[in-house]
Amino acid sequence: MPEQNGSNELLIRQAHVLDPSTGLDGIMDVRLSSGHIAEVGDGLRGPRELDADGLHLFPGFVDVHAHWRTPGREDEEDIQSGSAAAAAGGFTGVVLMPNTAPIVDRPVMVSGLVRRVERESRVRAHVSAALHVGLAGERLTEMRLLKQAGAFCVSDDGLGTASAGVLRNGMLYARSAGLPVILHCEDHTLATGVVHDGVAASLAGLPGSPASAEDAATATALILAAETGAKVHITHVSTALSAALVGFFQDRAAVTADTTPHHLTLTEDLVSTLDGLYSVNPPLRPGSDRGGVERALRDGVLDFVATDHAPHASEEKELPIEEAAPGFLGHETAFATLYTDLVLSDRLSLSRLLEAMSCAPGRWVGGGGSLAVGAPADLTLVDLSEEWTVGRDTLVSRSSNSPYLGRTLKGRVVGTIVGGEPVHDRTGAKFGVHA
Amino acid sequence: METRSFLTLEDASSEDIREILDLARAFADGRVPDALANKTVCLAFFEASTRTAVSFELAARRSGAHVISLSEKGSAIAKGESLVDTVVTLDRLGADAIVLRHQAAGAAALASRHTSAPVINAGDGCGQHPTQALLDLYALGEALGGFEGLEGRRVAIVGDVLHSRVARSVIPGFLRAGMELALVAPLTLLPPDADALGLPVLSSVDAAIAWGADVLYMLRLQRERMTGARIPSVAEYARYYGVARRHLERGALVMHPGPVNRGVEISGDVVLDASSLIPDQVAAGVCVRSAVLALSTGAVQKVAA
Repeated sequence: MPEQNGSNELLIRQAHVLDPSTGLDGIMDVRLSSGHIAEVGDGLRGPRELDADGLHLFPGFVDVHAHWRTPGREDEEDIQSGSAAAAAGGFTGVVLMPNTAPIVDRPVMVSGLVRRVERESRVRAHVSAALHVGLAGERLTEMRLLKQAGAFCVSDDGLGTASAGVLRNGMLYARSAGLPVILHCEDHTLATGVVHDGVAASLAGLPGSPASAEDAATATALILAAETGAKVHITHVSTALSAALVGFFQDRAAVTADTTPHHLTLTEDLVSTLDGLYSVNPPLRPGSDRGGVERALRDGVLDFVATDHAPHASEEKELPIEEAAPGFLGHETAFATLYTDLVLSDRLSLSRLLEAMSCAPGRWVGGGGSLAVGAPADLTLVDLSEEWTVGRDTLVSRSSNSPYLGRTLKGRVVGTIVGGEPVHDRTGAKFGVHA
Repeated sequence: METRSFLTLEDASSEDIREILDLARAFADGRVPDALANKTVCLAFFEASTRTAVSFELAARRSGAHVISLSEKGSAIAKGESLVDTVVTLDRLGADAIVLRHQAAGAAALASRHTSAPVINAGDGCGQHPTQALLDLYALGEALGGFEGLEGRRVAIVGDVLHSRVARSVIPGFLRAGMELALVAPLTLLPPDADALGLPVLSSVDAAIAWGADVLYMLRLQRERMTGARIPSVAEYARYYGVARRHLERGALVMHPGPVNRGVEISGDVVLDASSLIPDQVAAGVCVRSAVLALSTGAVQKVAA
C-alpha cells in the first residue's frame, strides 16, 4: 500500500462517473484529498489534475477470493506480482486465502503476513486464516488470537469440511471470535473426479464430480449458518441448484455468496480439449448451470463476483486435464470478460455488474465500494471502448494460466487508484498526471 | 415423617434455599447433633467421584447416620446392575435416603419414581448438581455477609456451561438469591438457548470484570474438551476464559466446583489466593449436605434459626 500523504490531492476531470451505491451517473469531476473522496461535481479545480475524458470511473473493484501463493509458491505469484495483477484488473482490495505452504493457521503467521502486505501490496489486501488447523477439518484454529494478530476472516478454502458437526462448531466459534467464515462447499465423498460429471466428461472419458458434491455441501453450510447465526460467505457458487439454495436462505441466515467470472462465462464443453489449462474447482458446469448462476447474480441472489485468482506454474497446467492443478488467473480479465459476455449482450446491466464487483464486496470487507464523499479514494478507471486480446504479454501476473488466452475482449482497465494514489497506470497517455 | 426427594434447584424457591442454608448453619454450629441417628443413608455412585462422595459420607456420619456405599469395586454397580434395579434393592433393604450420582441427566428423577425413600441428586449427567449450588451459596454468603448480602451481586459464570450440571443448578440457585448473572464462554460451550435464559453472554473474563463481576464462577473444562473440537487450544482458552491475577485487582472473588485444571480455568498462582473461595466451597459441603439429608428424610422438620 502506498503511504497516504496528507497533502496529496488529485482531481479526476471529466470522467463518466458510475456508482450504484450513490446513484452517481454522468460526466463529472471527482476530487480526492487525504486518501478520501473529497468532492464530486462540475468545474472543480485542483493542484494535480488527471484528464479522464472518455473514461468511466467506478468504485474500485473488490475481490474476496485471491491466492497470491505467498508464502511458499512465490514462483507462481507473490504479494508484489499478485497485487500488481489485481491493480491491473481494477481491484483496489482483495482477501487472501490461507491455503499457502505453510498454511496460515497460527497467529504469528498472520501477523507476519499482515506486515508484509502492508509493505509490499499495491492494493488493500486482507489476510484470512484457516478455520481448522492445517485445513484438516478437525481442530479449530486459535481464532481469537488470529483475529488479534490481524486476521480478517477464516476459511478452509480449497477444501470442503468433511464433517457437518465439525463445521457447526467452527461456525459457532468463529461467531464468538467475531470473524466471518468463507466456505468452499464441496463434499469430497462425492467429488471424486476432475471435471463436471456430465456429457462432456463422459465423451472425453474423464472421471467426473457431480453437481451434488457442491449442492449437498452448500445445503449443509446454509442450514448450519442459519442455525448458528455465524456470518458466512459461500464462495464460487457454480450450479443453478446451489444458487437457488442460497436464495432460499437469503432471509434466514447471515449469508452472502459469490460466483466467479469463469463460471459466468465458460462451460463444461471446454473439457473436450483435455487441456489441463481448463482444470478448475468447482469445475466448469453445463450451460444450464451457467445460466442459473447468471440469473442468480442478476437477481441479487448471488451478492457478488469473486475471481478465485489462482496462479499456477506451467508445469502444473501443461498436463492432461486429469493431472493438472485446478485454478485460473482471475484478476486481470474479470471485468472485461463479464462486460463483454454479459453486459454487451444485454444479459446484465453495467450497474448491476458494478454492484457485484465493487459495491457489495466493498461493503462485505467494510468501507469500500463507494464514491460517496468521505469514502476511501479507491477507484477504477476503465475505457469501455478499448478492444484488447488476452495474451501472455498482457498479463502482469507471474503465471499465465488464464482460460481466456487469445480471447479478444472489450473494456479495459486503464487506471487504478488506492487511497488517492495511482497504483496502476497502463498507458501513461490518457491516465497522465498533468502538473 | 414427611420425606421429599431433592433432585433439582429449578423448582426451589428463595425460601426453600434460605431454609436449607439456615439449617446448614445450625449443623455447622453443632446445634443439631445426631440429627440422622438411626437413619440409613445409601450412597449409590454410578460415576466416579471423590469430593462429592466423601462430603456426603461425612455429612451423614457426623450426624449419626449409618452409611452404605455402593461405589466401591465389586459392588452391584460395578457388576453392571441397572439403575432401577439398584434403587429397588436399596429401597427394600430399608434405605432412609439414597444419594445418587449418575452419568445421565434425569437419572435421579427416574430413581425417585422407584422408591419411597427420598433420592438426593449428587449429580446427574449434564443435568443438575443441586447440593453443589447450595454449598456455593453457603460459602459465598459467609464471605459476603449472609444470604441477604448476596442480593444484587454480579456473578460471571465462566466456561463450559453446555456440559455443566453445576451451571444448571448454580444458575437457578444464584438467581433465587437475587444475584445478577452473566455467562462467559464461546458459543461452542454454550447451550443454543443461552440467549433465551435471558442472561448476557460476555466474550472474556476481561469483559466480565468490565461488566462489574463481584464473583468469577469458573466451570471445569473436561480434558476431552481441550482437543480442538470446541476450543482451539488451552492457550487461547486460558487467555480469554481463564482467571489471571490481574482480574482480582478490583476485589473479585473466585469460585470453582473442583477439581481445578491449574493454568486452564485458573492460573496456578490464583487457585489458593485470598480471593479464592475454593477451599471454603469444599468446607461448606459437609454442613450443607447434612442439612439436605436431614430435611429430605424428615429428621428435621423446622429450623430453629
